[in-house]
Amino acid sequence: MRGWERGILTQFDYALFLGALILALLGALGIYNASPDSGDYSFFLRHLLWISVGVGVCLFVMSLDYHFLADHAFLFYASSTVLLIGILFFGTEINGSRSWLTFGGLSFQPSELAKLTVILLLAQYLGQLNENYLEGRHFLILASITLFPMILITIQGDLGTALMFLPILMGMVVVAGVKKQLLAGVLVVSLCVAPVSWFFLQDYQKQRILVTFDPGLDPQGIGYQSRQSQIAIGSGGLFGKGLGQGLQSQLGFVPEIHTDFIFAILAEEIGFVGSILILMLYLFILMRLIHIAETARDRVGILISTGVASLIFFHVAINVGMTLGIVPPIGIPLPLLSYGGSATVTVFAALGLALNVYQRRFVYF
Amino acid sequence: MPIFQDNRELVRRLNWLRISFVLVFVCLFAQLWSLTVLDFDYYQNLAERNRVRILPQIAPRGLIHDREGRVLVDNVYGFNLLLFRDEMSDLDATLQFLMDGLDITEEVLRERLKAAGSYSIYQPVVLKENLSMEETAYLLARQSEHPEVEILTQPRRIYRYGSLAAHVAGYVGEISPAQLQEPEFRQYKAGDIVGQFGVERTYNQTLTGRDGRRRVQVDSRGRILHDLEQIDPIRGEDLTLTLDLDLQATAENLLGEDTGAVIAFDARNGEILVMASRPAFDPNQFAIRISRKEWDQLLENPDHPLQNRTVQNAFSPGSTFKIIMALAGLERGIIDAETTVTCKGSVDLYGHRFHCWKEEGHGEVTLLEAIQHSCNTYFYLLGQKLGLQEIAHFSRQLGLGVPVGIDLLGEASGLVPSEEWKRQARGEPWYPGETISLAIGQGPILVTPIQLARAVGIIATGRSPRLHLLKGDSQQGSTAGRELLSPVFAPENLQTIRDAMWSVVNEGGTGQAARLANYQVAGKTGTAQIISLSTREQLSESELESLEDNAWFVGFAPRDDPEIVVAVIVQRGGSGGSSAAPLAREIFRLYHAKYKNRGPAGVEVASQANQEKKL
Repeated sequence: MRGWERGILTQFDYALFLGALILALLGALGIYNASPDSGDYSFFLRHLLWISVGVGVCLFVMSLDYHFLADHAFLFYASSTVLLIGILFFGTEINGSRSWLTFGGLSFQPSELAKLTVILLLAQYLGQLNENYLEGRHFLILASITLFPMILITIQGDLGTALMFLPILMGMVVVAGVKKQLLAGVLVVSLCVAPVSWFFLQDYQKQRILVTFDPGLDPQGIGYQSRQSQIAIGSGGLFGKGLGQGLQSQLGFVPEIHTDFIFAILAEEIGFVGSILILMLYLFILMRLIHIAETARDRVGILISTGVASLIFFHVAINVGMTLGIVPPIGIPLPLLSYGGSATVTVFAALGLALNVYQRRFVYF
Repeated sequence: MPIFQDNRELVRRLNWLRISFVLVFVCLFAQLWSLTVLDFDYYQNLAERNRVRILPQIAPRGLIHDREGRVLVDNVYGFNLLLFRDEMSDLDATLQFLMDGLDITEEVLRERLKAAGSYSIYQPVVLKENLSMEETAYLLARQSEHPEVEILTQPRRIYRYGSLAAHVAGYVGEISPAQLQEPEFRQYKAGDIVGQFGVERTYNQTLTGRDGRRRVQVDSRGRILHDLEQIDPIRGEDLTLTLDLDLQATAENLLGEDTGAVIAFDARNGEILVMASRPAFDPNQFAIRISRKEWDQLLENPDHPLQNRTVQNAFSPGSTFKIIMALAGLERGIIDAETTVTCKGSVDLYGHRFHCWKEEGHGEVTLLEAIQHSCNTYFYLLGQKLGLQEIAHFSRQLGLGVPVGIDLLGEASGLVPSEEWKRQARGEPWYPGETISLAIGQGPILVTPIQLARAVGIIATGRSPRLHLLKGDSQQGSTAGRELLSPVFAPENLQTIRDAMWSVVNEGGTGQAARLANYQVAGKTGTAQIISLSTREQLSESELESLEDNAWFVGFAPRDDPEIVVAVIVQRGGSGGSSAAPLAREIFRLYHAKYKNRGPAGVEVASQANQEKKL
């Protein structure tokens, strides 16, 4: 608990924290505008509640020394895995995937929690290696840590969320060190495997990939979603149509506007200028996270921050890429902006980890 | 954990991360720029074409049948003109376009638009119902120039028999702003059509269906590109009334141009068979939105055609009240069947002379004869002995002074006087002389036809089933008047009155005109003065002519095990015996002809009757 007593005020990364809070509140604004029926503010109010829960969890995670957390990483990992297994039997099915645990009126997605425990265990494992480059045997362990929850989440029917573990692993491995030959090898193998894996994809998944490259293929089906999202964003123009005026989104052309496509309604209403500001805020947060990694006191700290940065980066890049029509539609939320309790709390907890590392960056106080 | 870590290599690699993050974000910026700025015109054009229209699919209301399943209230579909205000660019141009080809004035159009001011802008406004073929053709031919208007088939109410049973069926109309505030109408929105009167109003919730909607994508010319969503409307539940349209039509035809009311119900289960009120109105006038002019005409009509006289108006009961007096006298032991009074044409009480209607007097009369010939003197003296309190008590026992709880809104309570009422309403004490007038049903006592009919029903059967209009609804329902559902009177007293009522019709009494050869009708006439006697004396002959009395006939049949109770009032109809009794007779006659072989539920019991014959 060293550092908490002195560090809470002096070593707190206000900029990072405030940046995240502003984004979350912008998300609340978007959700307010996206409420299906005017006058129904239940999504908006619940989102505000989740933000406050998230802030609380963030501060709590920050208060526990990350070394303590890393030392117990396997315990956390095992617990979240148990939850993922349990969900296969006791889970609630929402929107076609059985990935929710419901207590009373609250739903919770253990797959979100698993992202954090995987980051923590990967960082713990990589942190204790005092080598600048990883060997093949290390990869075996890293792959099994990551693949196990991925497989469980895929079984639940949430392929999009499962796939998000790979880029997180990739980000952390790149920093931990990969020999150039090995990296090249992975790239070559991926390029060879990709066409083969095509045959293992479901038809609708193939469709999604195809329409990304040619939206005209199916203007009413799969391509419809991302096409409508592009129309909404494009018609917003430089300055947007004004809050509450985003007719494309409001009239129901754009699907899932309060969750996966929240960026579309915001871009339609606040235009290029406003959207760029949002993206800049994300970039700012990412730069802060890399800075935290750079100034971290030890390897575990570096890798935790790297994992958190990768988590946020890939979610933002893929989600925004999807609404802009340059990435196939995958159902993943936009961190801090999308409606959703588990995702919001998870991102705040992840930021709590990074703030934790930042606070304890000096060896001696 | 190693004691010393050299992490410089890792920190260096973080730069790769930093660079790739920035590069990816630059790609996102570029794509954003390309969509919102470079291709803005293209996407704006697409967005223009991306219009959604929600076409309301109004659910038809449930049908209303009579007791034999004949459809009284139905739905028809007509072409309605809808205006989508969110797509309108120039109001005046739109209105001009509509006035050019439609049979409609600017005034009406603006009135409709104003009335729709409280709707959501996306909710279309119905500007004209039931378009003609020419109008439809005109609109269709020019739709591409005026995408803001749309023709939609929508259901509306049709009352198959016009004004027949209009007061029971009621009418529908657009929900009023005041109604929107009421909890009962919580699930309705502005512009919805709801029941406003009659059973349309009472059973509005049941009759109302669930509206559907069709969400379509339209292009900028209003052409439908494709369906986004379709929710089919669900028709409301049907109602079966207890009314018998044959009897109803007979009653209404016989009332004809007269002002008055007829009510008849099944004495055994309280099912209303006839509820007629004249003058009437045509509810079809309301089904297509009623214009202000038509509405004003109905409201300003001095005969108040919108009022259901059987339940909403209270009248002086006149001599029909004598049967209630007689029951009170018998129950209190003041008189018995043998008690006689000598009528000399008038009697002096409390320093005032009270006249019998027969100037030379009836001579010595028993109770039976007093009812049979409607002798006032007998009841003056009975009233004096009973006193106000007892008269009021038995009136209430027979259900006067409170609504009967029929399943219609706006039922009148009538009036049963008391000393306290007099003090409060008039600021005067009750004068003993008023009790004497009250004894013959004059003075401050008012009854609705349905109240009086129920009182007769209690005398006829000793029971008081709940009166109702919805078939199969004799158990549940309104609590109004519940406390008098179990009146207890001595059976022999009721029998005495029933015998007297039978003689009114069958033994040369005042109600002879209601007599039927094959159906034992019992009844009582009444002639209620609309004005007081003292005023009457100041009027000329011709003035008196126009102020004829209200004529009553109340009765039941058959004498033993009564099946049907009838009450008739003809306003300004002279004496009850001459105008109301013949009308009641026709109801009894037709009822008997139609139902002689059926039980109370209208089920054939012919086989049973045949068996009895064999025995």
